[in-house]
Amino acid sequence: MALNPRHAWLRQLAALTIVLMVWEAAGRGHLLNPLFAPSPSQIGAALVDLFGSGRIWPHLNATFTEALAGLLIGIVVGIVLGVLAALVPLIAELIEPVMTLLNAIPRVILAPVFVIWMGIGIASKVALAFILVAVLMFFTVYSGIRQVDRKLVERIVTLGGGRWELVRHVYLPAVASSVLGSLKVAVGFAFTGACVGEFVAASRGLGYLLSFAQSTYNTALMFALILLILVVVLVIFGIAGRLEKHLLRWN
Amino acid sequence: MSLVGPSGSGKSSLLRAVIGLQKPLAGTVETGLAPSEIGMLFQDDALLPWKTARENVALGLIFNGVEPPRAQEQADVWLQRLGLAGFGHRFPRHLSGGQRKRVALAQVLAMTPKLLLMDEPFASLDAIVRARIIQEVATLVERERISVLLVTHDLEEAISLSDCVYLLSQGPRAHITHDYRVPIPRPRDPVRARMHPAFAPLYEKLWNDLSREVDRDQRAESTV
Repeated sequence: MALNPRHAWLRQLAALTIVLMVWEAAGRGHLLNPLFAPSPSQIGAALVDLFGSGRIWPHLNATFTEALAGLLIGIVVGIVLGVLAALVPLIAELIEPVMTLLNAIPRVILAPVFVIWMGIGIASKVALAFILVAVLMFFTVYSGIRQVDRKLVERIVTLGGGRWELVRHVYLPAVASSVLGSLKVAVGFAFTGACVGEFVAASRGLGYLLSFAQSTYNTALMFALILLILVVVLVIFGIAGRLEKHLLRWN
Repeated sequence: MSLVGPSGSGKSSLLRAVIGLQKPLAGTVETGLAPSEIGMLFQDDALLPWKTARENVALGLIFNGVEPPRAQEQADVWLQRLGLAGFGHRFPRHLSGGQRKRVALAQVLAMTPKLLLMDEPFASLDAIVRARIIQEVATLVERERISVLLVTHDLEEAISLSDCVYLLSQGPRAHITHDYRVPIPRPRDPVRARMHPAFAPLYEKLWNDLSREVDRDQRAESTV
């Protein structure tokens, strides 16, 4: 039977529905321990309760603020440092080893350090999201610029372009594609940073709620939160994809 | 004026030195021209892929202080002159090899250079497109009175386009071993120039001298 690729989503939806129905039936038939695997309806109820009571908003707000602030500062700092390092050898000498080191370790281990330095408020989470994103962006931009075709550079030079023109017309557009490519990863990193930071020590946020759900064995709440974070990240991926398509329309 | 010679005789290096991409190890390059009066056409049409044809052509003008809206207008004029009217909004990816070469030409010519350097500019084109572009370049260069220094492996191209052809010896320490005047009158159509009675004898002489250069080099190699 030939599968029409345009209807793939229909088949995927059908498969998902069947899985959820089997899951739900197994839950109701007491084949699954709700302490480990709550049924879809219980997870749904937890989700409805979160929004219905309005309890979720301050937490969503906190996590979003932290992740987006960390993402924004991380992207800007990462790009600036990457461009500087690629153009000024002295800066590359000083920064690259630090970045390589930061890239080699799992950066979330810095979370406790940031909590001690900046307290359990929003700042320590922004810092964690920032450091995750900035290192990624630095390497994206740094290697992106170093891989720019020499011929394009020579062309601009023979047309009378100086260093600033090279940055503006060659280097930045050339790294734009790789930056946009890693934007999705960066969004994931930013939410990782925010949630892990909240997990370690916080009084608000999705990570804090998760850690609360874990300590009270509220599995339905836990799955509801995981689902929520998934949806949030997917929505942001969608926006990043749109942006990528628009900015890279020459390709 | 054309430069021909075996590979490795430093033809490209010479052009790069003239335009300042490469510093000569010794000596200086004297053109009597400002850098903005020298243009260079490369073998590959390294256009910026993220800029449209029009934006690519306008680039050099903008670098030299022309206001962007005016530069875009002039870019359109040059695109039109090279037969690309209506292609200004296309990105290089959506142009054929010949069209990209024309955009690259428009980009250089829009700067109204007094000296145009060309480093095997037509090597990557197919025969018919190549002949057509060469004709157009010859016409434009004659009309705008631009001096041209052409580096090529193609002796026919060298003779049909030039007034003077210089033969470089095998490198390292390459030098000019022969120079030839091309007695075909101007204005000249480079395709028809090949049918001029002076063409064949000059081609034969150039070919013999060039072969001797290459042979000498191979003998030198085998004695080492």
